Amino acid sequence: MNAPLPTLPGALTLDRFAPGSQVQVLNVTGALPIRRRLLEMGLCPGVAVDVIRRAPLGDPLEVRVRGYLLSLRLDQAAQVSVASLTTTPAAVA
Amino acid sequence: MTSAPAAASSAIRTIALGGNPNCGKTTLFNALTGLRQKVANYPGITVEKKTGRCTLPDGHVIDVLDLPGTYSLVANSPDEQVAMEVLRGLRPDTPVPDVIVAVVDASNLARNLFLVSQLIELRRPMVVALNMSDIASRRGQSVDAVALARELGVPVIPVVGHKGHGVDALKAALASATVPTLPTWPLPDQFATAVSTVGKAIPALPVDERERLARRLLAQETAADLAAVRADPAVSAALTSTVFDGAAVMQADIEARYHWIDQVVARVVQPGAFKPGSTLTDRVDAVLVHPVFGLAIFGLIMATLFVTLFLVADPLMGMCESAVAWLGELVTGKMDGGTLKSLLADGVFAGVGGVVVFVPQIALLFLFLAILEDSGYLARAAFLMDRLLSKVGLHGRSFIPMLSSFACAIPGVMATRTIESRNERLATILVAPFMSCSARLPVYGLLIGAFFGTAMFAGTPYEPYIWLIQGGIMLACYVLGILAAVVTAYGCKLFLGKGAVTPFILELPTYKFPQPGEVVRQVWTNTAKFLTKAGTIIFCLSIVLWAMAYFPRLPNDKILEVTNRHNAAPLVIPADATVEQEAEIRDARAAELDSAVAGAQLEYSISGRIGHTIEPVIAPLGYDWKIGVGLIAAFAAREVFVSNLAVVYSVGDVEEDATPLEDAIRADTYDNGKPVWTPMVAVSLLVWFVLAMQCISTTAVVRRETGGWSWPLFQLVYMNVVAYVAALITYQVGSRIFGG
Repeated sequence: MNAPLPTLPGALTLDRFAPGSQVQVLNVTGALPIRRRLLEMGLCPGVAVDVIRRAPLGDPLEVRVRGYLLSLRLDQAAQVSVASLTTTPAAVA
Repeated sequence: MTSAPAAASSAIRTIALGGNPNCGKTTLFNALTGLRQKVANYPGITVEKKTGRCTLPDGHVIDVLDLPGTYSLVANSPDEQVAMEVLRGLRPDTPVPDVIVAVVDASNLARNLFLVSQLIELRRPMVVALNMSDIASRRGQSVDAVALARELGVPVIPVVGHKGHGVDALKAALASATVPTLPTWPLPDQFATAVSTVGKAIPALPVDERERLARRLLAQETAADLAAVRADPAVSAALTSTVFDGAAVMQADIEARYHWIDQVVARVVQPGAFKPGSTLTDRVDAVLVHPVFGLAIFGLIMATLFVTLFLVADPLMGMCESAVAWLGELVTGKMDGGTLKSLLADGVFAGVGGVVVFVPQIALLFLFLAILEDSGYLARAAFLMDRLLSKVGLHGRSFIPMLSSFACAIPGVMATRTIESRNERLATILVAPFMSCSARLPVYGLLIGAFFGTAMFAGTPYEPYIWLIQGGIMLACYVLGILAAVVTAYGCKLFLGKGAVTPFILELPTYKFPQPGEVVRQVWTNTAKFLTKAGTIIFCLSIVLWAMAYFPRLPNDKILEVTNRHNAAPLVIPADATVEQEAEIRDARAAELDSAVAGAQLEYSISGRIGHTIEPVIAPLGYDWKIGVGLIAAFAAREVFVSNLAVVYSVGDVEEDATPLEDAIRADTYDNGKPVWTPMVAVSLLVWFVLAMQCISTTAVVRRETGGWSWPLFQLVYMNVVAYVAALITYQVGSRIFGG
């Protein structure tokens, strides 16, 4: 759980964070329709996101953004690049 | 804000409720319209069109349109497409709403205001219904409706839909709906040139309108109202001359809206003592999506659903059938024989029975679905199961349709309505009938009983293990169906999706107590729609199948021939028989004659002739014409195969005891003395019944759910080709290895 942060700062994406971490969205990338929907759901650059849990089978991910609960597959979470806000890095490999 | 009230209430004919999914829109719709609703479909698609009537305080009556929930006016699904098109006035089948009621969830204000930011730009008279303020205040939050109205420039009415609070105020406010005038949210400077270049190329519109269109064009929106604008040569030239990629404009546009939203939320929401992560929903979720308890509870809920559809529905279905049969008897009992009686008894009433019999399962399924959906659990179920199903190209929400299909594919296909993404919904509809439904069980039972039972294994070392062999074959049938479904779904993922990944971006809504009224309403509308829409098709096809088995009538000389052959066998009555015993023997003899005539009639009918005609096609599968007739009859419902064989083999009623039929099929031989039925024929038939699409009722429901004939026909051909090839390989390979 407490693996060190990956060395490449650009490699940090939402799918790599363990439950309990808080992150800030830096950018959303990927194919236009999914990118648009992620942004429309409130995952805009600058917003804080709490990683709540993963589904029992490991995928999808559940996060809290702008006060509501959102689940998304790891594939889609990988389109959201983030910076960690938690003091103890909780990134998972 | 300088906007004037829109109009007097007498000028309002139609209002539309728009809002996010889970914002309580439908509850508010019910509170506004009471029982005066009707549910239809938008032409050509399966999206529900819910309209109702509402009386305003001054007595004026208006139409209320409940639009599908949508997160954005840039549509991602057919439902969102409809909402967008109605709100933009692009649907010729639906009047442009005179007032838009934007329903907003006060406990989730920021995300809900995103759609509002787009609705504001429609520049149509608008009122905001601030719903669920009770949930917000329970959390210690408060939303200042007056301040929000000031920010948005339109009236904001606090309502609590499920209690009816604020509904009268909302009705009264419709007349003072205002056209919002908020300026469009500015994009960063680097986009300004592109927007104004494209904007200038758009002819004959006010400047702000042009710029809104330009932004939508640059962000690569594809709504129908943009097509004409884009077709203009000047506009398309301006678009190609801009240096920005559409995604950057799209992102800047959404960011600008949320920037504004953050400011509005900061001004109108008093967060109070609310701490995210401490709500009832968070505590319930800690259990319901827990890695161990969550899966256990999910299993328990699904087991309850399955047992209900399979076992609880069964006696109710029996009651429905008996009730229709009783009515049929009441009508036809006094009639003499003949075509009219047969049409009524075996065509009309059997057809009605064949429709009504599904009602208990459908009603129970929608009872479950409504409770699970309204409570918020259905989204959690999808969250739990998505990993498993996404691997084969299905969706977390495919689980309940697939599970229901083990009872019956009809409620299963109807349950796919909860899947928003079209590809995954179609894939689920396509594979659902591969699940072994309860109608296949009598067929499995007959074949396994006749060829893998006591008669085959008595006196062999296998005798003590008959139950194991029979159970194993039954299990293999279920597994084969599941495998076919998985492979087909995977094929859909490859071909249907054409590489496009459908996102799983699913809101997990706040848990709520289901509203009993809304649950009853959903059960009622869905059952009624099945009866009126799919029911009529099932009924008509049942009549066709009846006619195929009834016409042409056996000529008198043929009847005489059968009778003579029958009478040629001597009637043996033991000398010491009592009067009652003698009467019994004579009755049995008469019943035998009736069965023999019925069998000859069926062979002479269109069905019987088709059975003979297709014999060369089905012979490589190991089937003769009698099995062919059974396969045709089974299109009415698979279990009809058994009763149809009973007619062909003239063994009378098999409802109570199938042993005479099992004995008859084992004893049947071809002219050369070879047995017609062998264990390999039975296995080949089992493979056929697992895989074949043999159910007009399912086809009728798929037609209704997909909005056309192309998908049900594709499914019909695909499944039957798969079944044919699999049964062919099974029989040809099997009979070479194990012998005929």
